[in-house]
Amino acid sequence: MSGEAERRWHPVASQYDVVPRHVFWGRLLGRELAVWRADDGYVNVWENRCLHRGVRLSVGTNDGRELVCRYHGWRYASRTAGCTYIPAHPADAPARTICNRTFPALERYGLVWSGEEPDGEPPVLDALEPGGAFALRGVTVRAPAEMVVDALSRHRFSPTDLIGAAADGNGPGPGGPVTVTGQDRYHVVLRAESADGGSASTAVFFAQPADADRTVVRAVLAGRPAPDSRIPVWRHHNTALTQLRDAVEAEARRRPPPEPMVAAIEEVPIHLSEVPEPAPKGRRAGLRVQVARKWPVAEDVAGFELVSIAGQLPTFQPGAHIDVHLPNGLVRQYSLTNGPGELDRYRIGVKLEPDGGGGSRSLHENVRVGDVLAVSEPRNNFPLRRDAVRTVLVAGGIGITPLLAMAQALRHQGLDFELHVFARSEDHIAFAELIDGLGESVTRHIGLSPSETGAALESVLAGPGPHEHVYVCGPGPMLDAARRIAAAGGRTDDTVHFEYFANPTDIDDSTTFTVELARSALSLEVPAGATIMEVLRANGVEVSSSCETGACGTCRVAVLDGEPVHNDVYLNDTEKQQGGEMMVCVSRAGGDRLVLDI
Amino acid sequence: MITLYDWELSANCYKVRLLMSILGLDHHAVPVDFYPGWEHKSAEFAKINPLGHIPVIDDDGYVLRDSHAILVYLAARYDKSGRWYPVDDPEVLGETASWLLFAEGTTNTASAARLYVNLGYDFDIDAVRAGAHRLFGVLDEHLWFREREGLDWVTSSPHPTIADLALFPDVALSEEGGVSREDYPALRRWTDRFRQIDGFTVMPGIFAPSRAAPPG
Amino acid sequence: MTVMATAEAETQVCTDPVIRNQWHAVADLDEIRRGELRTLLLGEPLRCWIDSGGAARAAAGPDREIEVRTDYGYLWATLGKPSGGVFDVPETREHDRRTLNALTVGIEVSAPRAVENFLDMAHFPYVHAGVLGEEPHTEVAEYRVEERDGELWAFDCLFYQPRAAAASSQAVLAEYVYRVPHPYSAMLYKSSPTDASRMDAIGIFIHPLTATRIRAHLFISVLDDVSADREIRRFQQGVIAQDKPILENQHPKLLPLDPRAETPIRADRSAIVYRRWLSRLGVTYGVIPAAEGVRT
Repeated sequence: MSGEAERRWHPVASQYDVVPRHVFWGRLLGRELAVWRADDGYVNVWENRCLHRGVRLSVGTNDGRELVCRYHGWRYASRTAGCTYIPAHPADAPARTICNRTFPALERYGLVWSGEEPDGEPPVLDALEPGGAFALRGVTVRAPAEMVVDALSRHRFSPTDLIGAAADGNGPGPGGPVTVTGQDRYHVVLRAESADGGSASTAVFFAQPADADRTVVRAVLAGRPAPDSRIPVWRHHNTALTQLRDAVEAEARRRPPPEPMVAAIEEVPIHLSEVPEPAPKGRRAGLRVQVARKWPVAEDVAGFELVSIAGQLPTFQPGAHIDVHLPNGLVRQYSLTNGPGELDRYRIGVKLEPDGGGGSRSLHENVRVGDVLAVSEPRNNFPLRRDAVRTVLVAGGIGITPLLAMAQALRHQGLDFELHVFARSEDHIAFAELIDGLGESVTRHIGLSPSETGAALESVLAGPGPHEHVYVCGPGPMLDAARRIAAAGGRTDDTVHFEYFANPTDIDDSTTFTVELARSALSLEVPAGATIMEVLRANGVEVSSSCETGACGTCRVAVLDGEPVHNDVYLNDTEKQQGGEMMVCVSRAGGDRLVLDI
Repeated sequence: MITLYDWELSANCYKVRLLMSILGLDHHAVPVDFYPGWEHKSAEFAKINPLGHIPVIDDDGYVLRDSHAILVYLAARYDKSGRWYPVDDPEVLGETASWLLFAEGTTNTASAARLYVNLGYDFDIDAVRAGAHRLFGVLDEHLWFREREGLDWVTSSPHPTIADLALFPDVALSEEGGVSREDYPALRRWTDRFRQIDGFTVMPGIFAPSRAAPPG
Repeated sequence: MTVMATAEAETQVCTDPVIRNQWHAVADLDEIRRGELRTLLLGEPLRCWIDSGGAARAAAGPDREIEVRTDYGYLWATLGKPSGGVFDVPETREHDRRTLNALTVGIEVSAPRAVENFLDMAHFPYVHAGVLGEEPHTEVAEYRVEERDGELWAFDCLFYQPRAAAASSQAVLAEYVYRVPHPYSAMLYKSSPTDASRMDAIGIFIHPLTATRIRAHLFISVLDDVSADREIRRFQQGVIAQDKPILENQHPKLLPLDPRAETPIRADRSAIVYRRWLSRLGVTYGVIPAAEGVRT
């Protein structure tokens, strides 16, 4: 499809249609559209169809940041239409590429513009000032666009005597002459003089080709009438256009009905047509972002806002992190702190680690506003289940960052949660203003000694109720304590989720063993001093990875046979005992052989 | 305690349940097996309503039939705010009566189309659908201008009345009868607003309002 | 890029031999006892009546009398030559059960979309909130789907339910078994709230008016000697009435069999198998068949 109509911009809605928390049901060239405004003002134009089971998104819910499908509660982020949550599988992070179809969207002249494959920009009309246009009521006419445009070229719309005059309750007089001062296939510009010829006004009538037999007339008046005359102008327009509609429809009924337009539904990508596999391979820095803001968010913590250089930033889920590739060649992982639907930028917090490898120092000291960084697409190995009756978030120090994203998502969705923030002092609480916004769900634990921290954790994690989940992120000793206390209190380890900054495990890499790759039918020797991942890559086998230290979980691989020695901090004890999965960046074989499902 | 002779899938019974829910009135429902049992046409039910239709209420011995009549009675008797049926405001009261009459029209068209599709009632389906579209066009235009005046409901009151309530089920269920609301954007916004009213309750076929945090 | 056309003809007469040769549940027997029924079957006019001898009969097209059967309280008719009778519902032979038609309801959708919805659990907390599911309990655990004797079965289907049946008053982890014995009909079995050792049976028997319009008959056979008929009916009526607006908002109305038409997840295993099964049976009516050579 690439006729002239498909390559043009058309109006698809008026400003009155995209009110907060509403989903407008539109149509263009036979294709149904779901048009909705997020709370941040962004207007989305999407195909009106959830790609899961084809249900109209216009019957879904606009929650201000995401659009929620009515059938199965799948959530799609504003801007990208990327799926952020699939409730049937609460423990999984959905494949980032599950994405509804979007169309370009722009607001101009009080109308929302879109198109199938539009070239350039929406039309700029000399008659209209971008900010000063005054949108009139849209009227649907059951007739083809060309009949409607033809009729509009003879339309008598003469509001001039109403504009500026105080509304005296009289209808418009006969007015002066109305002339066509511009016209093409989809619009007509009408200039109307006042009865005495002393003034004139201009209006543009756009014909939105909704379908072969249906056209929405969206009219815009140049300049805003005085407040008192607005309603009379709207009424005059509505009366005149309704008369035009009735005449055109009567004429259209005498003609044979045109063939309906058939909008093609795109196939979903092949990898989404089957039950999704965990996706992207390698340690890729697929995105280029610019530092839009850098500011201190706490003692020794710098906040960074990263905006896209080209195109839309990809969808993320709460708990997700990005790899940041630093000027000094290092790669570091930072959790996104964004709330749901905040896709105009990524926001991270970086704690200065003077004794670290130099990653945080590079960001603190060398990276400035305006610099361009390479980052990976967001990856989520710390997914937030939303099927808990109560969720407990426990943050230690800079461990607040992924939990902040989670807390904002839970709060926005109206789910019950508590956020416990452990910090050395108030000045050490990063993103304090965001935390303040979370209200009474937050408890601050300031300046506690290790034993006081233990006691606080005892009370926070006491007495698990049914359907509770706990998420903990912070320094290693605190996580170890939390793990111990949660287990002693009767919490099962599938309900307590950890994210480590780093893996403190001492790794014995003196062993030698064989890995057999079941799917690739390869058998490889892993020598002392090398990791499985290094050997795989040396032999051309791709493995996804991120931290490569056994903390993040990205390189998880299924084990079919053999007993792994787990050196990671990602898997919980039950998972380690089961031995069904391992992290190939750090873990090794207990015996002389492992069979992996790759 | 008010007794309601009720069938869950009846739009007219829903009107009564909706007002009782909004006003916080307890009631006791007597289910009538309208379909496929046809109990409303039974000799036994004829003693309650010789016309053989539901809803009927029995408020401590006071028996009343017809949904719109019941709305008038319940609002006048139990709405302490006096806003759902504003007997003290002649203009709004007049508009309320006018739109209640309009709602008889939507019941006879949009809801008739629903009975045709759902239960195979014998109507001239093209005629009832065309009639529903004509009324929806009028209502959409009216509501568009109400919005421009800064008003949310069908009358000139800043508060909804039983006229909105009487219209809501016929409109919100219209697509079950094959009457699409795609061409009535102001009507769709009004149904969204209506679902946010305190005490709103659903019936099968009507979607629940969002429970997300409010804007801001 | 290949595309899927979405234009849908309205009253397509069925030429699909697989579907023509099925028995279709065209009426609740009580319905035709009240008077002659004039309707459609697979796009053709259909008339059903009870003759003076008390026998149910049906005629298709202008006036062609067709074969009928009466099973499980319904009139079953065919436009073709079925190879046997209607699929067996052994529960109807257990005399302590209450067996009745809960509702016959028209829905503007294809028969396979309605069957697929009937097999789906993930929508319970959203479409049947407070009844068959409730947020935040949204997880669909792994379950098994098997083909047995030409029918599809799904086992080990567990779902958290606040109120699983008319006779239950508290939340349970309900266990379901699903069965698809016919391209346009399905059954489900769920643990009975009154007798833990046995299962309630609920069926959706679809009367295809056209490829995109159906009447769904809700069949129930339950172990419940407490609730009145109207109570048992009311529960299932509410459930199907909640599904109706979802089904009528699916686009396209025909079920696409090409695996690249929609995006399944693990919870959709029964739907994946059902779509493949329809492809293998060669069903073309009520579906958008996969293109030639596409592996389904």
